[in-house]
Amino acid sequence: MLELRPILSALWRHKVSALLIALQLGLTLAIVSNALVVMNERTERMSRPTGIAENDIVTFNFMAIPKDYDMYGAFRQDMDMIRSLPGVASASVSNAVPLSGSGSASGFYSEPNKETGATGANYYTMDEHFIDALGMKLVAGRGFYPEEVMKISPSSNDRPTIAVVTQKFADDLFPESNGNVLGKVFFNGGDDHPIKIVGIVERNLGPWPNSSVAGRGAFYPAITDRWFHYIVRAEPGQRDKVQKLVEEKLAERDGNRVINSHTIEEEKAQYYAGDNTMVKVLSGVVILLTFIVALGIVGLTVFWITQRQKQIGVRRALGATRTAICRYFLLENLMIAATGIALGTAAAQIFNGLLVREFDQPVLPLMITVSCAVALLVVSLAASLIPALRAANISPATATRSV
Amino acid sequence: MFGYYVSLAIRSLRRTPVLSALMVAAIAVGVGAAMTTLTLNYMMSRNALAAKDDVLYAVQLDGWDPHEASDNPSEMPWQLTYQDSVNLLRSDIPTHQVAMHRWGGPISLEDSDIRPFTADARVTSSDFFALFGVPFIYGGTWSAEADQGPVQQLVLSKETNDKLFGGENSVGRTVNFNGVPFTVVGVTEHWQPSPKVHDLNNGHFNESAEVFLPFGLHRTFEIYPWGNTNGWKSEEINSYEDRLNSDMVWLQYWVQLDTPQQIEAYRDFLTGYIREQKEQGRFPRPLKFGLSKPSEWLVLNEVVDGDDRMLNWLSLAFLLVCLVNAVALLLAKFLRKAPEAGVRRALGASRNAVFSQHLVESSCVGLLGGLGGILLTLAGLALIRQLQMGYMDRVASMDWTMMLAAIGLAVISSLLAGFYPAWRISRTNPSIYLKTQ
Repeated sequence: MLELRPILSALWRHKVSALLIALQLGLTLAIVSNALVVMNERTERMSRPTGIAENDIVTFNFMAIPKDYDMYGAFRQDMDMIRSLPGVASASVSNAVPLSGSGSASGFYSEPNKETGATGANYYTMDEHFIDALGMKLVAGRGFYPEEVMKISPSSNDRPTIAVVTQKFADDLFPESNGNVLGKVFFNGGDDHPIKIVGIVERNLGPWPNSSVAGRGAFYPAITDRWFHYIVRAEPGQRDKVQKLVEEKLAERDGNRVINSHTIEEEKAQYYAGDNTMVKVLSGVVILLTFIVALGIVGLTVFWITQRQKQIGVRRALGATRTAICRYFLLENLMIAATGIALGTAAAQIFNGLLVREFDQPVLPLMITVSCAVALLVVSLAASLIPALRAANISPATATRSV
Repeated sequence: MFGYYVSLAIRSLRRTPVLSALMVAAIAVGVGAAMTTLTLNYMMSRNALAAKDDVLYAVQLDGWDPHEASDNPSEMPWQLTYQDSVNLLRSDIPTHQVAMHRWGGPISLEDSDIRPFTADARVTSSDFFALFGVPFIYGGTWSAEADQGPVQQLVLSKETNDKLFGGENSVGRTVNFNGVPFTVVGVTEHWQPSPKVHDLNNGHFNESAEVFLPFGLHRTFEIYPWGNTNGWKSEEINSYEDRLNSDMVWLQYWVQLDTPQQIEAYRDFLTGYIREQKEQGRFPRPLKFGLSKPSEWLVLNEVVDGDDRMLNWLSLAFLLVCLVNAVALLLAKFLRKAPEAGVRRALGASRNAVFSQHLVESSCVGLLGGLGGILLTLAGLALIRQLQMGYMDRVASMDWTMMLAAIGLAVISSLLAGFYPAWRISRTNPSIYLKTQ
């Protein structure tokens, strides 16, 4: 550590350049650590379990062409046909598709005739095959019996009297019941029509996983002739075959309709497209920035070394070892980097404060900043290593040569 | 002199190819990243109705829950109820006015090989085309009575007309929509505003409608909109008619008000209307309505969302890092040439001359960086189109304004970056270098 003083005085002569590199490192640290915390949050958000067999499900819906079309009849026949097809594990009719960005939600209460303080939740109307068709896990109670499934219309007030709910819905609506909600009843806002909970499924993120109602879901035993989707779960690995086959068979059974089909995987990718883009763009930023900073350090170290060739030669002639020369430049870089990282740690917190306040982003834990700082330090040392090794190879003879 | 400086700059850049390439690359990457996100935001926040920004207004009425304001920045529901829309349509103050919503259904032709397909529809009153300035290729809008009662007429978009009729004049022909025959009365020109200012309810950048249907059809088809329907209270609904008379909101409403007198009169009209409704027990909240110009509507609906704005700032911070990098490298480069500058100074060059010479050199770096930046921006936008964000296809492209902005940004950045190094070197004391030579 004998060289600290000469390094400091040398740096002092290049204070602006040194400061610029430190500044660059600092800004990079601030940007990269904040980018990482955002990426982290988005990645976690996208990888949350959805509670359904997302890789095996295909959904279909059709639009009939003739005006008077027997929808309920079509459902029954289509469903029977689909369930008999090879590769199909299960199928159900539903008003909405999880992860699709389209569905229904409402406010629910644990007491009748209330108007404020609702617990928001998604709701689905489905036939008795819904648990199996979505690939959900029943944790308590039962599903629906076929005779419980009602036919309802959006322009009528018919409402089911039983429901299966998600664990989260149960916990949020009845916080003091410790999840033991079988047999309890809940209500829509402003009325006294009780809906009894007969079963609980482990999880269902709903049509809008990024919304505040995500995870709270209620399933009603009902089918409507207006908004419906066929939810078909294929045997593992059979999905694409099933999609083609069902499309063909539906058209074959009745060519007089328009059929649209999507896989849940597509719907999910579409729903998370924004988050996904954010993660990709941010990783691009992190990589490019690190690269640029490394380039800057290489460029400047090379410049300094060329400038100080003669001095290096003199030191070598006076007996300094190659290691000593190499160590000199690495130490110099370390001091600059340390300054930069100190600046950057502060800047990272300030940036994060802004992000939290203005853009509702997550708070930056110190651990992320520290690990970014360590990584940057390594990059910075690595970037100065090659020029430093070159400096070590400068022959003592340079000293005697006049420049 | 300028030409000479440029040739000096080129010679100097050639002499240190690695350092020069690093500087150009730093600026190019900075400009590329900044311009990619700026372009996206610029294209997203464009106002597709800018031409009529002074006369068009989106209408909001606050008939929401007395306990709780509507949950959006305007604190009013985005849409109107059917009954309010029908009532407002009776006003004769606006030059044009439109109540509308999205719908859709299967469309087909009798005796045709064309497979039936689901067409995205806009159910709207007849002023739609005049209000939003949608030009027609053939024909025009439907008859006035089609806004009150069921008249089976429709307007096709150019794309739908191409698909169904191969682009011929289809006015007077019959298409089946939702199982019943409609007469084509008009075909619009290609009209694809982006963002879709007139309907921000169903995806800001989604496709426009493929067919346009008259407002008088609701009861005949029991139309349930394809879009958000929001309600705030529990209502007894036992028929479609109940639904039309409910307090659920699902229609968008726009008016064209050409003069200040019209605006004044319309404000009075809305105030009067809400008062009248309050007397009948509706509109429990304090009297409030909204008239927003297209530009205000875009801001209110947060078309450019938090993520986009965050990326904007991020890209500027990114550009800043690249600039600091360029300053450091330029400084190194210029200081290396200090002996040369010293000699020039000793031979009589003024400080100004040395300064401008180096500023020219840094602008050259900037220009090259700018060109590189445009290439990187184009690559960046292409990459974003690859990220399958759906609507991004329509947004991620660069126009001339943005290309010029990229070069401008690069040159300004490198001038800024070159300022300090050029100043430093113009301060060189000639005597030192004369001595060491």
